[in-house]
Amino acid sequence: MTPSNRYVAMLPSKAEARKRILTVVVLISLLILPFVLNQLGKTGEFWIWVATEMVIMALFATSLNLILGFGGMVSFGHAAFFGVGAYTVALLMKKAGFPLGLALLAAPCVAAIAAAVIGWFCVRLVGLYFAILTLTFGQLLYMLAFQWYTFTGGDDGIHGIPKPAFLGPINYYILCLLIFLVCLWIMKIIVNSSFGLSIKIIRENPERARFIGINVKRHQLANFIIAGFFAGLAGGLFTELNRFAQTEFLHWSKSGDAIFACLVGGMYSFIGPAIGSTVLIFLHIFIQQIHQSLVEIWAIFLGLILLGVVLFAPEGLVGLYDRIFRKMPE
Amino acid sequence: MTIGFLFFVLINGLSEGMVLFIVASGLSLVFGVLRVINFAHGSLYMIGAFLAFSLSTLLNMDSLFSFLLLMILIPPAIALLGLGLEIPLFRRIYGKEHLLQLLLTYAVLLILDDLCRVVWGGEIRNVSRPEMLGGSIDFFGQYLPTYNIFILVMGPLIAFGLWYLLHRTRAGNLIRAAVSHPDMLGALGVNVARVMTGTFMLGCFLAGLGGVFMSALANIDLGIGMQKIIECFAVVVIGGLGSIGGALLGSLIIGVGIAFIQLPLSRLAIVFPYIVMALILIIRPWGLFGKPER
Repeated sequence: MTPSNRYVAMLPSKAEARKRILTVVVLISLLILPFVLNQLGKTGEFWIWVATEMVIMALFATSLNLILGFGGMVSFGHAAFFGVGAYTVALLMKKAGFPLGLALLAAPCVAAIAAAVIGWFCVRLVGLYFAILTLTFGQLLYMLAFQWYTFTGGDDGIHGIPKPAFLGPINYYILCLLIFLVCLWIMKIIVNSSFGLSIKIIRENPERARFIGINVKRHQLANFIIAGFFAGLAGGLFTELNRFAQTEFLHWSKSGDAIFACLVGGMYSFIGPAIGSTVLIFLHIFIQQIHQSLVEIWAIFLGLILLGVVLFAPEGLVGLYDRIFRKMPE
Repeated sequence: MTIGFLFFVLINGLSEGMVLFIVASGLSLVFGVLRVINFAHGSLYMIGAFLAFSLSTLLNMDSLFSFLLLMILIPPAIALLGLGLEIPLFRRIYGKEHLLQLLLTYAVLLILDDLCRVVWGGEIRNVSRPEMLGGSIDFFGQYLPTYNIFILVMGPLIAFGLWYLLHRTRAGNLIRAAVSHPDMLGALGVNVARVMTGTFMLGCFLAGLGGVFMSALANIDLGIGMQKIIECFAVVVIGGLGSIGGALLGSLIIGVGIAFIQLPLSRLAIVFPYIVMALILIIRPWGLFGKPER
């Protein structure tokens, strides 16, 4: 073995070790974070709220990436399942008096059912047509929520969702973080399972996948339902955080947010979307803190970030990190 | 509800459909050659409409001449804007993944829409119709707005012009060749990149022209770009992506459909394009005129 070869062979394990240390550091800081922020008084409380939103949106973005990055299916209607989860929690808690735990269990299940129905039609299509049909179904649900005043409250949404007394901001953050980590762990198992590998083969070469006996459409549908399940959970958690559900949750711009998160973070890595989502939310609030009026032109900032990523770093932040720290030859 | 009134609604729907056709044909044309669905197409249309508003306020004339001036000046301006977008941005993503293409055009949409908000603000605007087109025509006892009739005349003229351009001129031959055999076209010594840029500019021209017509047909605000791009999606889904004839049929279906549904169920009118789109995609995803891709 020549020295240069050994050097290359050593690198991945070194990177692996660095990754493991990084993971532990991030986990510990995530757990300590609210207690540190709590010392800051009023601003601290605001940032705990922001951190909770970040955790929930990271779950939403990671769920989308199951179909987007791993499945190679561009869905512009993922917000539908986020919204269905949100409205499930809102309606069950406000109108049926369910406790939070049960409502949070129901949210992903109802979202998964919605995903099964919508997905059944959508997975028959590929590429652009799939994207347009998911967008269409998402918008139909949005308009349904918008028009059905007696059930969903229309554009007023549903307000005043009860909050259990023991769930202060810190406790709710910890709850969301734990749920997020468990979901992340489950999704990681799914991605690395034989099912996950089949999904990746279908992305790379659907025809070949069919030849080796994979039922392409059924796998895609199952993947779509799983993604919808976790999106529904994220929607439910978000509703409890805000204590309201509104039609915006279903709108395709919400789907857009998750897609941007995947792209900015890096959709060919497992953790990329969570990172992208966190970075984008932070930037949004950071810009707000610099000057209130800058929020008005947030879309311009977002558009420029997206242009930069699409043109210069399509692998996202994780790809950039890999490029800088691993220096792997192409 | 008399027959005359239904006729009035039909004329309204047809004129909305004609404007939609002008915009959607641009989207379809661009897709046909570049294989990119341009999310920002609706924003270019909106900029055209707002420019028409600003220019007509500046000119402060209600004459037919000033409106013709809008029709002559604004579409080329939008085409130039398209040139400014195509060379640095769009050109770099041809042939890449769908997702990157969609996101690039979506990023352009975000930027253009917010720039519109900064420049023109959130108020609802309208452009006064030129005096000659402002009145109405007595048609068997039913008064039809002259402006709608004007659009009904202009629509087919533009459709014919587009057909003539595509099928009877050298530029059109090049565009059609670029749709079916881009590599062969390049091998024959044609600068395909330039044909693509030209097609993109033509698409933007049509978006701007649609914006000018719309500015005097209905109120304009910051939502019209988004609304129009969704309607355009419905049109190209109905007609098949890349088919101009299909776009004409699709536009008329959507325009007339919305006009008639608006009568009894105004709240359902915005849902109509989505329902049509979903049905077509489920039953016949390649559109009424398109061919299955695989």
